[in-house]
Amino acid sequence: MAKRIPEDLRKLLGKDKVIDDPEIVSLYAREPSGISSEALAVVFPENVKDVSKIASYAYKNGVLIYPQGSTTDLVGGAVPEPKGIVVSFERMNRIINVSILDSIVDVEVGVRLGDLNVELAKHGYMFPIDPGSVNITTVGGAVNSGAGGLRGAKYGTMRDWVLGLTIVLPDEAGTVMRVGCRTTKCRQGYDLVRLIVGSEGTLALVAEATLKITPLPETMATALAFFSTLENLFEAYREIKSSGVQPLVMEFMDYETAKLAGEASKSPINVEGHMLLVSVDCNFEAVERVESWLRRVMEKNGALKVYTSKTIEGAEPLFTIRRSLFPAQVAMASKLYPGRKKIVYMEDIAVPPSKLLEAVTAVRRISEEKGLKVSIGGHVGDGNLHPSVAFPVDDEIVKKKVLEWEFEVSKTAVELGGTVSAEHGIGLRKKEFLKMEMEKLGSLKALEIMKGVKKVFDPKGILNPGKVV
Amino acid sequence: MLDPLQIIRLVEDNMRAHGLPFPAPRESLYSWAKPLNLPEKGSPMIYTGGLYQLTPYIVSVVESLSKTEDLRLTSMAFRASRLLSALGLSGLVVRPKADVASYIERVLRSIVELLREAGVKVAYAYEDDMYSGVILYDLGLDSLFKENAVKVYRALKSRGAEVIITVDPHTTHIMRSVYPKYVEGYDLKVKSYLEVLAETGFKVERRDRGDIVIHDPCLYARFESIIEQPRTLLGNAGFKVLEPRRSGRMTYCCGGPIEGLAPKIAKTIAKTRLSELAEKPGVIVTMCPICYANLKAVSDEKVEIEDIALLLRG
Amino acid sequence: MRAWVEAEAEKCVYCGFCEPLCPTLYPGGHRGYGPRGRVNIAFNIVRGGKHTGETLKSIYSCLLCGACNLVCPAKIDIVGVIRASRALGG
Repeated sequence: MAKRIPEDLRKLLGKDKVIDDPEIVSLYAREPSGISSEALAVVFPENVKDVSKIASYAYKNGVLIYPQGSTTDLVGGAVPEPKGIVVSFERMNRIINVSILDSIVDVEVGVRLGDLNVELAKHGYMFPIDPGSVNITTVGGAVNSGAGGLRGAKYGTMRDWVLGLTIVLPDEAGTVMRVGCRTTKCRQGYDLVRLIVGSEGTLALVAEATLKITPLPETMATALAFFSTLENLFEAYREIKSSGVQPLVMEFMDYETAKLAGEASKSPINVEGHMLLVSVDCNFEAVERVESWLRRVMEKNGALKVYTSKTIEGAEPLFTIRRSLFPAQVAMASKLYPGRKKIVYMEDIAVPPSKLLEAVTAVRRISEEKGLKVSIGGHVGDGNLHPSVAFPVDDEIVKKKVLEWEFEVSKTAVELGGTVSAEHGIGLRKKEFLKMEMEKLGSLKALEIMKGVKKVFDPKGILNPGKVV
Repeated sequence: MLDPLQIIRLVEDNMRAHGLPFPAPRESLYSWAKPLNLPEKGSPMIYTGGLYQLTPYIVSVVESLSKTEDLRLTSMAFRASRLLSALGLSGLVVRPKADVASYIERVLRSIVELLREAGVKVAYAYEDDMYSGVILYDLGLDSLFKENAVKVYRALKSRGAEVIITVDPHTTHIMRSVYPKYVEGYDLKVKSYLEVLAETGFKVERRDRGDIVIHDPCLYARFESIIEQPRTLLGNAGFKVLEPRRSGRMTYCCGGPIEGLAPKIAKTIAKTRLSELAEKPGVIVTMCPICYANLKAVSDEKVEIEDIALLLRG
Repeated sequence: MRAWVEAEAEKCVYCGFCEPLCPTLYPGGHRGYGPRGRVNIAFNIVRGGKHTGETLKSIYSCLLCGACNLVCPAKIDIVGVIRASRALGG
């Protein structure tokens, strides 16, 4: 049976669209979370029809299928476990249509967000969802993981920017279906679009998407400030958040992390303390006023040093340290465990902004108690924190500590009225945490409903099984 | 894609037979300099390493090889060797692409003239301007590369070279950053002619020569930090230098390095890069023969591509 | 050189940041034509793994252009790893 599947698929799709060379297939059976497995083959649909054929074949033959974008997943959401075939959307990478008047773009889901923005910039527009991995993330991956990003405080997450989807169901016919609208306002009964967004490929295969787009900002004022205490930093944060402006970006990094990121990025800026980076988009006419206001607020609240910029290009050097958050976390892991294979676990909690100081303090305390070196960064504009720790794969003791740490950090988030996953998803790794969160809310029944929904979409349970619920 | 092992064998066989990676006559490397009558000993010495001169041969070899690309890799092993000989590739000589060959001669002579105008008198080793071994290194043929590198070094030293002036990014990189790891006691100082010209403050007194779009070669921009020099030189020569979307360290490869291994992929990449360069008006400037040939191969007559030496020479 | 390649390739956290910069990834048609794939294939090869038709294509279709080196968060010398794997496991 297992041997027959690649052959069947070759007949069905054409030989160039199927790979079963085990060395290549293994490249699709792992992800940055460190979870890996095995798959039977990888198929590369080139259009919606191909996707439909794959879905129908899988249904009729009871073959498990795993949709994948670029697999930057951190929670085990794209791992083909148990064994099945990976459906890679990388060849469906056409931008079908850009309509400025309608403020939408139609794309195949293999388009990377970075490439999409290059195209949109030609029209003076952008797609504002920008996860840390924006250049590699595909539209399909972003839809399925419900991605957010740096500009989340202003622009929200994927669920706010997906208007319509072309989906394929894992049923007898491989049913192709259009859900949602081409307009912002849309009351199409139950909101199936928002059900699919963030469903981590467990409900349907997403093949095409209609996305909302927005004009590029005219300019922005940016301030990068360092503080000696978290209290001072979050006081400045509170004042900015309470002043009737809506910042485009509000990023936080604790001292140790910012220092490492500064080193990793070779930034000439001297990291002197905990870091707060704020950008406010505005008109040319207003930028001077906003810039000096940002500087004032930072200084008034005890900033040790403030750097500012009045242009988008001019802000680039101020963003360098923040953009190196992930490299810094990798560097920290390398420093701690030189010469050993290690995994970096990045948490993804969100708490109401009013609870941020408490959350950061708690995360630092928990890490200290567990004896783990933590790095903390986050999109604080919307209360999203990404504390991260690392462990060597061969060290069971440290690994156990990391798992305990993860659980406690998640629990803290829930206790502060937050959530265990803001933008990365549940996947395999956070199912237990999701349960904890729902239990705390007294909403365990919701998980039953989710399982029921899954059954309606995917009666045989062949689509990315075992993930989310 | 072609069978890499066959290509490796082709390169190895040719290299062992006559010191060049492709079937080309030895004189093809130095015949361009015959009319110039340069001193055959001394320093600084211009060392081409043969990449420019081999380009017309590479173009021809690639054209022949491309014909075999559609064969399945698995059945290539024995078939390819017969095919290669049927195509004349295992023989000693292929016919160089004539238009490219005469272009390359003009480029090399212009480089010597530019240096002369800048007050730099160069020697040239003629028969001892041997192939640097770039492709051997890239393909991982390390022992053959090393053997060749030692020969090259000794020949250059025997001709009195202390400083060598290179003319293309691959040779610059290999001589400056790779040879020291493979040749014991290596002490040649290596400079690209663009660096030499920039250091002398070389200036052509001409103005308003129009827009040009600069295509940074990967090895200059990423491995040898040669980014500003060509811009300064072109600006001084009266050109308005326009930057494509991806430039400097973030440049985009022309696809050339794999033209012999994966011609189809190389072509797709070249087309992508060319359309990106063509987003800006003006002549496209290359600084590497591989970039030149590969971009040229996918361009039509509407696009003008010119080597930097010819533009500076005006 | 073998030990160096192993140590270097082992740093890969599989984030994929290198992929969008790689010119061969899309025309190649699968992940083996990108730096993330190549580094991990190279790792297997220098550890004594056997080349398959596809891995051979993967390793030898690399341009060695160095775009990936610029963005690797783990600061792997990807180009060096791929070239060395050619030298070691040809």
